[in-house]
Amino acid sequence: MDSLLSILIQAHPLEGWFFGSGKAMVVLAIALILLIGFGLWMWRAESRLKSMEAKLKSKNQQES
Amino acid sequence: MGHNIWKIGGFALIAYVFVMVFTVPMGPGLLELSNTGNATTQVDSDRPLPEYFLTGFGTHWSSQPDQLQVIVRSKTNLSKLEVIEVIDDTHARIGVSLPYSLPSKSWDVLINHPIDGTLLLENGLFLSDRFIDESLTLPAISIVEFEAKLPFHFPYQPRILETIRNLMLHVPMWFTMFVLMGIAFVASIKQLATARNLAEDEKSEAAVKVGLLFGFLGLITGSFWARFTWGAWWVDDPQLNGALVTVLVYSGYMVLRNSLDNAPLRARLSAVYNLFAFIILIILLMVLPRFTESLHPGKGGNPGFNSYDLDSALRAAFYPAVIGWIFIGIWMYRINLRFTRLQKLLTWTHCSQF
Repeated sequence: MDSLLSILIQAHPLEGWFFGSGKAMVVLAIALILLIGFGLWMWRAESRLKSMEAKLKSKNQQES
Repeated sequence: MGHNIWKIGGFALIAYVFVMVFTVPMGPGLLELSNTGNATTQVDSDRPLPEYFLTGFGTHWSSQPDQLQVIVRSKTNLSKLEVIEVIDDTHARIGVSLPYSLPSKSWDVLINHPIDGTLLLENGLFLSDRFIDESLTLPAISIVEFEAKLPFHFPYQPRILETIRNLMLHVPMWFTMFVLMGIAFVASIKQLATARNLAEDEKSEAAVKVGLLFGFLGLITGSFWARFTWGAWWVDDPQLNGALVTVLVYSGYMVLRNSLDNAPLRARLSAVYNLFAFIILIILLMVLPRFTESLHPGKGGNPGFNSYDLDSALRAAFYPAVIGWIFIGIWMYRINLRFTRLQKLLTWTHCSQF
């Protein structure tokens, strides 16, 4: 694994194959999609928690 | 909406940081000046001129190659080297036209170019085959100094090179972990003060859970960085070992919690444990590494966040990264806390029905 990585780095320096070829833009796009997805997931999770808390609160109030 | 601005802000800051990380180019630098073993015959002298190969990183020597100046420096002595040929943007053949008697064996290499400005390679030239007389002084030279004309860029740092971009991921993970463990520490103190109420215990647990996640992310990003700059996934370094021990200590906190069924006892014991865990975190990550030799920046007497390590370009991405990750971490902690409380409430409601 280590030697394979060393060979890869020597054959394709980071600035050449990653930044020079535009691959960095693809990684950026994927990173942004993941970040936005994670943010939306958290937003949705919080909204669901909020509605569940409200439901439970009203249920408890009705019972008491 | 107003109270959610910091949550959106956190993600917006990280999106901005990602754009910066992947789009801002690296500044130029000098990689090495190596002896080719060849010698060029000089036009005005019978003595052969030893030929060296100068390698740059992100330089622009092909544009205005005749303006490239290569200078060597030792204390106050300066001497110009001869540029035999500029091969491409980052490679040039240099003739070391220094006299046989020199004031030093080791010389810093500087280049000056209309686009790249002045670049430095410390101790880049070592001449072991010369007569050394420290009292010698070389004749003064005239240098036409050009200011760099470069777009916004991250600074070049030897060995770190492109991996400097990892700064925006690795360091904020630890900052966020510190903040979350700090929240857990305060909650533990409050828990010990108000033993009957378990609300602070829940806060402490939620903060440690999320803090541990950031701790693991800090270890992973640090390990990748170590592989690219130091050549190994893990090195025996007080900072690295301290970080691992800290994460293990907090993992122990989770084990302790899960091993106790009695809720008040669990809250009290884990609060006491957490106080010590936070003190260990401070000692292992912030105090001990400063008293020992370390490869890690900011340790072993090498201040981490000064002009050497951070310039204005890095600060423009680094500070938003720290703030953004802390906001995301706090949001994750709040969701985790609400989820835990709701889960307990549902269990309690369910149990009370039977």
